[in-house]
Amino acid sequence: MSATARPDGAVKLAGAAVYGEDLDVPGMLWGALVLAPVAHGRRLSVDLSPARALPGVVAIGAADVAGLVDGGTGDPERPPFPSERVSYLQQPVAAVAAPTRSLAREAARAVRISVEPLPVATDLDDLFPEWPREKIEDPARVAAHVHARRGDVDGAFRDSATVVAETYRTASVHQVALEPHACVAEVTDGGWRVRTSTQSPFGAREDTASILGIPEAALVVEGTWVGGGFGGKGAAFLEPYALLLARAAGRPVRLALSYAEEFRLGRTTLPAVVRMETAVNAGEITARRVRLLLDVGTSLPGRDFATGYAIGFLLGPYRAPAFEVEGYAVRTNKPPFGPHRAPFAPQAAFVVESHLAAVARAAGIDPATFKARHLWREGDRTPFGQRVLPFGLASAFESARALAARWRSEAPPGQGVGIGLGFWSTSTGAGGEARVVLSPTELVILQGEREIGSGSVVVGLAQVAARRSGLPVEQVRVEYRDSAGAPFDAGVFGSRTVGALGRAVDAALVSLLARLGERLGSPGPVTLAVLDGEIVAVHGSGRRRVAELLTPAETAAGGLAADGKHYGRSGEIDESVVLDGAFYAFTDFTGAAHVAQVEVDPQTGSVRVLRYAAFHDAGVVVDLPSARAQVEGGVAMGLGAALTEEAIWSDDGRLENAGLVDYRIPTLREVPPIEVHFLEGFPGAGPFGAKGLGEPPIIPVPATIAAAVRDAAGAHVRELPLAPERVARELKFR
Amino acid sequence: MAPFELVAPATPDEAIAELGALGASDAVPLAGGTDLLFDLDDGRLAPRRVVSLRRLPWQTLDWNGPILTVGSTLPLRRLETDPEVRTRLPGLYTAVRAVGSVALRHQATLGGNLGRSAPASDLVPMLLALDAEIDLVGPQGARTVPVDQFVIGSRRTALRPAELIRSVRFPEPRPSAYLWQRVRPFRDISQMAVAVAYSPARARWRVAVAGFPPRPLLVPEVEDALGPVLPPARSDLDRGAHVLSTRAPIVGDKRASEAYRRQIVRPLLERAVRRASGEKAGS
Repeated sequence: MSATARPDGAVKLAGAAVYGEDLDVPGMLWGALVLAPVAHGRRLSVDLSPARALPGVVAIGAADVAGLVDGGTGDPERPPFPSERVSYLQQPVAAVAAPTRSLAREAARAVRISVEPLPVATDLDDLFPEWPREKIEDPARVAAHVHARRGDVDGAFRDSATVVAETYRTASVHQVALEPHACVAEVTDGGWRVRTSTQSPFGAREDTASILGIPEAALVVEGTWVGGGFGGKGAAFLEPYALLLARAAGRPVRLALSYAEEFRLGRTTLPAVVRMETAVNAGEITARRVRLLLDVGTSLPGRDFATGYAIGFLLGPYRAPAFEVEGYAVRTNKPPFGPHRAPFAPQAAFVVESHLAAVARAAGIDPATFKARHLWREGDRTPFGQRVLPFGLASAFESARALAARWRSEAPPGQGVGIGLGFWSTSTGAGGEARVVLSPTELVILQGEREIGSGSVVVGLAQVAARRSGLPVEQVRVEYRDSAGAPFDAGVFGSRTVGALGRAVDAALVSLLARLGERLGSPGPVTLAVLDGEIVAVHGSGRRRVAELLTPAETAAGGLAADGKHYGRSGEIDESVVLDGAFYAFTDFTGAAHVAQVEVDPQTGSVRVLRYAAFHDAGVVVDLPSARAQVEGGVAMGLGAALTEEAIWSDDGRLENAGLVDYRIPTLREVPPIEVHFLEGFPGAGPFGAKGLGEPPIIPVPATIAAAVRDAAGAHVRELPLAPERVARELKFR
Repeated sequence: MAPFELVAPATPDEAIAELGALGASDAVPLAGGTDLLFDLDDGRLAPRRVVSLRRLPWQTLDWNGPILTVGSTLPLRRLETDPEVRTRLPGLYTAVRAVGSVALRHQATLGGNLGRSAPASDLVPMLLALDAEIDLVGPQGARTVPVDQFVIGSRRTALRPAELIRSVRFPEPRPSAYLWQRVRPFRDISQMAVAVAYSPARARWRVAVAGFPPRPLLVPEVEDALGPVLPPARSDLDRGAHVLSTRAPIVGDKRASEAYRRQIVRPLLERAVRRASGEKAGS
């Protein structure tokens, strides 16, 4: 399949692409959120009158949206506004809109807030200093509890020759999308309408309608170009506030976060503490015990499923005959936990890879040999009893080991080489639908997702259609429609765009080609081609111009249309091992092995990454340049999580580094040359056997860097990120 | 950002008058703006008037024999691209390049860095080690202040009301070096920094440390320990590093613990002195 120039390249280079942050419509007001001054408090009282006294200012608070609080979701942390209790610092408690941006800020500052402060909980170690020896029994603290067990775990630990127990800590990391959340809302007699920068127009519509208590059909969501999402723009966030302000004002209202607000209010990955215990006998793992405390901020009791999802990544991708896992989603006074590219999987891979290497060393076995012996392979059962589908991780690991051996032979003292493994699964989401329209000159894919930057929409979907139809990809155009005009799709997240929405596009193409076949009277397969600038249908040795195959009505409507949908399902787990909570199965199995060569300063602990290689099983790659770019971007992002990125929360619940000065993402200087390799032969659940590639590239990175740091300097670091001070504490050669 | 009046006077006298007509919190000078604009945008400063210095004739760089005089509004990028600076004041060259990115250094100025005097400034410690002198002009006329007396605390200087930094003078070329420790090596704030320079005229090392509050500072006990020669004796360098690590008033803050700072300041000093002495840096 041929590579293609990015169809969105020209409009973006010209500055003509309108992002949410660019929205500016005639007559609009500027909105601003009024934010809580404490991280935890009660008897909240918000006096909007000083703001309303300013010229042209509209202000809304809890009293103005009575009945909408809880938004039908039962979640007081969800918009619109809390009426009595504040749960995290800078939680929105009211909103204002004004004719200018500066007046909006002034109005927000003018609102008088009184609240009685309560003790603030932010730190897992402070909350549960004796865990896991102590039980966690305060139900208000626990948003979710998951527990599963298989086999005689206690017996295996008792009877095994080697037992290793370690505690790991991982940091809170932000998505750091270039574009903050931004939208413009309007409420007219015709209904509610919001233009917004979102990874999921339909998800935003569903959430927003639920919060506002209106039918979904009454709300139109139009996606703008998206300046990066990384999971942070997958659910409704500003849209309900903007719509409520617009209704109160009777004019369009623009609401956008500042970059500091983006850090402070954003839903992201929060800190975790992991206790890992592994028993080994005669070189074989006999049992594993995994315990997790996952900070989920103000997520509601019983409503958080992150824990069961996260813990699955702490067990795999290694076989263990007996295991016990127990995880708590712990509520703290931080914003609710939210998805960040492969939520918690990079952190989990760091823990699993570092721990099993330590276990192997304790048992006197080469870590790579030990890991390869236990790695999941096709046909194995996961700890939760799911059969492993085609899975290229073991092959990727073999390739990585060969390269690592070569790099290590070339590395001078002070440098080291490490390997890290990671696995993932393509999400189906709630499913997706697409329509294709074939005219005499082009094939158009109509669908409801905006390109978020990866190319998965504008290139990935086009490549699927090109491959199915036989057309050159340049003859395929992806056209966006708003939620009123597009068929449903779950969203651009979970590495699912090509894998799930691509299946819907493929199904639509199959249907379209079948109808052309009927018109041609051809029982055999029909493909499309271009002849003298016109599209022709090819069947056997014959060919007919598409123009001749369309009815007059179809010609008038722009072409022959066909619809496709894909509502996929993941596999099933063995529920007999589940003692409490929910665990999740995989749709397919995606794996990656990474290799890094680093230099560690033996006195300061500074780590420099010198070169990097990534071996990915991505099933069938539908667009090689986009796939390579995804891996390079994921590795760069992962280097941040590995080395420098860490949101620091003070004891009073304040995010201390709410900006790019002290929240350090890698710059190009910190990103080394990256080799990218794809392993073929392990098909996934997507079209033609494609697997999702949005998230997998970030997953092995912290594990890989940690392994390389240990190789270089003997430092076994059990905490992310591997900032110099942390590495220095573990240095053996000080 | 609150509204303000922006003025760009053409002469120093006019600039001083514009500043003097209002109180210190109501009128602020603007050089490159790479630091000031954050305070304006966040509302930490809300002056009624911002006095831009861009039209003043201070974007200068002059060598007069051994003496280098740098105009306060000269963009840092022009300081680092002067070939004489690189060879005659190598520590200054390195320190300037430690500031932000190339794009930022096209905008940022030496005067602005001094006037804003952040505790983590990468330039102030090097200016201390080079015994830079600051030429000031104000309503009461001109005066000159050593940099050690100019920077008096975190974001506090000896500037009087309506007084401006005109230029910075370096008395002599010095073998010198600047090294820092950061979480991210570039475009980050230093957790710890060491500036060293050897004064041939005084036959003395000058050593300044920075990166922790309240301000960069000279450490004379370390200078004594290093002795009068370049390069210092191995035992003197060991002793200097020990004195710096154990006796300098280093504290911890959110960017690094005191223990870590005391641990890394030792290799930083050793490497900086070796580099200034013409050896390749390294461990």
